[in-house]
Amino acid sequence: MIASILASGLAVGAVYALIGITYNTMFATSRVMSFTAGQLGMLGGVLGSMFILKLGLPLVVGLVLTLVVCALIGVLTEIVAVRPVLKSLDQHLYVLTTLAVALLIQQFTAIQWGTEPQPFPRLLEAGSGLLDEKYWLPVVTCAVTIIGLEYLYRRTLVGHAFIAIAEDNFAARALGLPERNLRIASYALAGVIGGLAGFSGGQLLLAFFANGPLLNFYGFIPVALGGLGNNRGAVIGGVALGLFQQAANFYAGGIFASVAVFSLFIIVLLAAPQGLFGATASRRV
Amino acid sequence: MTITRRDLALGTAAICLAAPALAQTAEPIRFGWLAAMTGPSSAPAVGFDRGVRFAAEAINAAGGVRGRRLEVLTRDTQGDPTKAVNATQEMISQLRVHAIWGPTNSGESLATTAIMARANMPNIHPCVVDSLIDARRYPNAFRIAPSNTQWDDAVRNYCLQRVNARKVAIIGDTTGYGVSAVNACVASFQREGAEVAYKANIDATQPDMTPDMLRARTAGAEAIVIWSVSTGMIARMLNTRASMGWDVPFVGHPALSSGEIGTLVERPANWEKVYAIGYRSCAYNDAGQLPERMAGLVSRMRGKVNLADTLLWWVSCGVDAVELVAKAVEATNSTAKEAIIAHWNTLAPYRGYYGDFTFTATEHNGYPVADIVMVRANTARDGAFNLAPGYT
Repeated sequence: MIASILASGLAVGAVYALIGITYNTMFATSRVMSFTAGQLGMLGGVLGSMFILKLGLPLVVGLVLTLVVCALIGVLTEIVAVRPVLKSLDQHLYVLTTLAVALLIQQFTAIQWGTEPQPFPRLLEAGSGLLDEKYWLPVVTCAVTIIGLEYLYRRTLVGHAFIAIAEDNFAARALGLPERNLRIASYALAGVIGGLAGFSGGQLLLAFFANGPLLNFYGFIPVALGGLGNNRGAVIGGVALGLFQQAANFYAGGIFASVAVFSLFIIVLLAAPQGLFGATASRRV
Repeated sequence: MTITRRDLALGTAAICLAAPALAQTAEPIRFGWLAAMTGPSSAPAVGFDRGVRFAAEAINAAGGVRGRRLEVLTRDTQGDPTKAVNATQEMISQLRVHAIWGPTNSGESLATTAIMARANMPNIHPCVVDSLIDARRYPNAFRIAPSNTQWDDAVRNYCLQRVNARKVAIIGDTTGYGVSAVNACVASFQREGAEVAYKANIDATQPDMTPDMLRARTAGAEAIVIWSVSTGMIARMLNTRASMGWDVPFVGHPALSSGEIGTLVERPANWEKVYAIGYRSCAYNDAGQLPERMAGLVSRMRGKVNLADTLLWWVSCGVDAVELVAKAVEATNSTAKEAIIAHWNTLAPYRGYYGDFTFTATEHNGYPVADIVMVRANTARDGAFNLAPGYT
């Protein structure tokens, strides 16, 4: 039982963590919580299934096409739902606009793809039982993603520019950084990460239009637990959430597992409103 | 010959008097069809519609009913109760239909039943929610498919009498339907003295079904009863059963036999020992044959109606709906609402294709429970299935 909790908990937790990172990546350059993050995850599964199973494309081609489309959806989100409301962030209009785009994506997928879950292909034909690829693939993807992001942010000029925008938008612009282009790039990057989440977790979650809201909710929890904008916090929060959720499934049962997850979430936020790994924001008065 | 003013006046009067009678004989029978033809729950209505069109064309090709054409007036409700209500009101007050077939899902029917009752509109539908049929409150409404209770009875009887399972696990999803169906099923098994070893409502999007399957096995379940339309959840449970090396039979909701499950199970063998609710009229016997009457209908539909991507019971039920209205008009020589309803109340039994329906003034659940059988879920062929083990 413990092995089963670990295998499925880590796998689902890694998917949640990747969605959390998707939220963070979009937030970093725009200060917007875009609720399209879960839909990008859903699209990763649906597009992967469509390209590889339905159209019969090779795995690599299918993966690249999936990530390209998800990146384009990310850019579209920035143009349609984020850019128009950036000037009035304090009114939180982005909640409405990003939710509207998320609903559009979900309904369009339901109409075009169908409302029944559809199979996702075996990718590597590796492993069986609890060592099946469907359990370890999301974990490996999450690890590679976080290493790649760390490299990007710490070792590349573009990454430094991302951090500069995230730290102080106005100062970065004053230094001549192309804020708009960097924001578009970060949304494309978020699209790729969201797509990777759905693609790597496709064998667990299937290619299903209703995965979007599920990933939106459960992907948001690691962000809140780990601290907004903190990718390492999101990974730890996501993995902890996945393990706790699976343990609750085993020990409490389906309906009560969700109750347990959200109860813990509320308790943690009451104890540490800034998230477990987030810093308290200071304000000059 | 000269025409006097008196002749002209008499002739005009005669034409005026005769006109309504002439128009009456030419007036078509307006058959209202509330169909969720698009949207997430459209598959049944698409199947029903094929039967409706086939039956209406056959009747009209044979000269209609007492010389009157049967006109099918369809409104797409999209599975939305609000649209179903609007379409119902349009059919009653503007299209002035003589009878309504549908809606085809219970959510819509719950919204439209009272409206049709107020208009005393003859209504037949295939929706399963028990409360939709009440001959006292809704004397105009007749069901030509099983109710939830009848489904539940059939599943319980199969588990207890043919699988000989005395300890069962009853599992549904977390939708309103799943919760209510599981509760009703638990109560009925317990009334029969069987032990419900495990009961659960599972979130249909839960990626790993191992916890619930392990609990069911630990509790000693000898059969797993499923009440859910979620094919993803069912397929995950079947895959988990296989990975556990457990061969417990699955019995329950018709969704167990959905074609999507065949694409979602990891191996075709994972779909063995799965028995879904089916109907004797639409089930192949050991010789691979349908009942004679249904075989005749299928033979007539060959080349005209596609049965490969739908269920035979949906199509044949659509045929029965049209013929029930047509034969009521033929028997009573009237399209008056009261006449149609009064005629249906005397059908004992009416020999349909999908089933032999029996209606009285106090019982409008017309489908015979003995005709609800279990079928092997993975044996679909032209919309029909092989009988499950234990039937002849």
